[in-house]
Amino acid sequence: MVSGDSTDPTVRERAARLGRALLLGGVLAALAVPLLVLSGETLVFASEKVFAVGALVFGFSILGWSGSVFAGKGIENFQRHIGGRSDWSEADSRQAMALLGSVGLGGMVGAMAATLVVGGLA
Amino acid sequence: MISKRFVVKRLLLLVPVLFGVATFVFAILHLAPGDPARVIAGQRASEQFVQQVRTELGLNDPIWVQYGRFLLEAAQFDFGNSYQIQKGTPVKQVLRFKLPVTLEMALFGQFLGILFGIPIGLLGAVKQDALSDHVTRIGALTGISVPIYWSGPLLILLFAQILGWFPASGRIASEFSITPITGIITFDTLVQGNFAAFQSAAMHLFLPSVVIGIYSMALVSRMMRSSMLEVIRQDYMRTARAKGQGSRITVMKHGFQNALIPVVTVIGIQFGTLLGGAVLTETVFGIPGIGTLLVSAIQVGDYPVVQGTVLTFAFLFTLVNLLVDVTYSYLDPRIDQ
Repeated sequence: MVSGDSTDPTVRERAARLGRALLLGGVLAALAVPLLVLSGETLVFASEKVFAVGALVFGFSILGWSGSVFAGKGIENFQRHIGGRSDWSEADSRQAMALLGSVGLGGMVGAMAATLVVGGLA
Repeated sequence: MISKRFVVKRLLLLVPVLFGVATFVFAILHLAPGDPARVIAGQRASEQFVQQVRTELGLNDPIWVQYGRFLLEAAQFDFGNSYQIQKGTPVKQVLRFKLPVTLEMALFGQFLGILFGIPIGLLGAVKQDALSDHVTRIGALTGISVPIYWSGPLLILLFAQILGWFPASGRIASEFSITPITGIITFDTLVQGNFAAFQSAAMHLFLPSVVIGIYSMALVSRMMRSSMLEVIRQDYMRTARAKGQGSRITVMKHGFQNALIPVVTVIGIQFGTLLGGAVLTETVFGIPGIGTLLVSAIQVGDYPVVQGTVLTFAFLFTLVNLLVDVTYSYLDPRIDQ
C-alpha cells in the first residue's frame, strides 16, 4: 500500500484491527491452556508452553517490526533501483508485524488469564 | 557532518531490537525440553531437592513473573548466575572473560578481510577482464563457497601439521603467564611489554583469523569490484580523466570514497556473520571464547548463560550496524536526510 493512498486505513480502523488480533490471540491461548490440561498435562506445563508460544510470536514480530523500520526504506529503494515489481513496502511490513505482535501479546495475556481461571477452578 | 537526530533515532531503534531478541530467547528456552533444576540438582537427586532448587531459582513462579523479572534484570545487564558452566558465577563475569576472546578473533578476521578484500576488489575493477581479475574472481568465489569446518582443519593440516609454521590450537604457548587486563591477549601482552608472548599470541591467532576472514575477504572484494566498476563509468570520472587527471588519482580521489559506501554495508553485516562463524572456528581451534561457551550452555541447559550470550551477540550486532549507519551518513551526507 502506497503511503498517502486513499485506501489507507484510518487510525481507528488500525486500532480495531489490532484489537481483533489481540482478541484472537487471547481466545486461542485461553482455549489452549484448558485443552492441554484436559489432555493430561499439568497446569504449570500448559501455562508455560502456551505463554512461551505467545512470547515467541510477540518477540518475532517485534524483531520484524524493527527490521522493517531499520531497513524498510532501503529495501524499497533497492527494489526501485533494480526495477523489481514487488508490492512489498515498509508500511505494509510494519502493519503486518504489528498485527502479528498483537496476536502474540494476546496469546500471552490469554495464557495468563486462563491459568488464573483454571487454577481457581481446580 | 552527521546529524544528531539521525544517530538518536538509530540508537532508539536498538531498544525494540533488544527487547525482541530477549523475548524470543526467553520463549525458545521455555519451549525447549529439559528442566534446569534437574540439571543443577543432578540426575540422581530426590524430587524434594529438585523442588527446593526450583524454588530457589524462581522457576516455580508463574511464567509471566519469570518473564517480567528476566526483562527487568536484562535491562540492567544482569543475567543472574550460571547454573552449570561455572556454577554460581554471575553470567556477566563469565562473559567478561569470554567475550574479548571472540571479539579479538572476529576483529582480526575482519581486519584481514578488509586489508586484502579492498585492494583485491580495486585491482579487479581497474584491470577488468585481465588475468589478475580472473584469478581474484576465482579466489573470491572459492572463499565464499568454502565452509569454516572444512577450511579450518585443512589449514591446520597444512600450516600446523605439515609445515609446522603455526600452532594448531589454543591462544598462547603454555610457558607464558599473562595477567589479563582487557582479555584481548595480543593487546595485553603488548601493554605489558612482553614481546615474546605477543609473538606467540599473534601466531596462535593467525590461523583462526584467516579462517574467519576468508569469507569476509571474498565478499568485500566482490562488492568492491562491482561498486568500483559502477563508479568508474560515471560521467564525473570521465570528466576528471578528460581534464588530464591521471587514472590512479581519479580512481583513488574521486572513485574510491563513493565506491566504498556499499562495501561498508557489507562489512557491517559481515561482522554479525563473523560472530556466528566464531562458534565453529572456536570449536575447530579449541579457543575458549563465547562461541564454545554458548554451545556448552545449550548442551547442559544453562538458561542464564544462553540468554546472556545471545543478548550480547544481538547487542554487538546492532551496535555494529549503528556504526555502519553512522559511517554511511559520513560518506554520503544525503543518507541522514
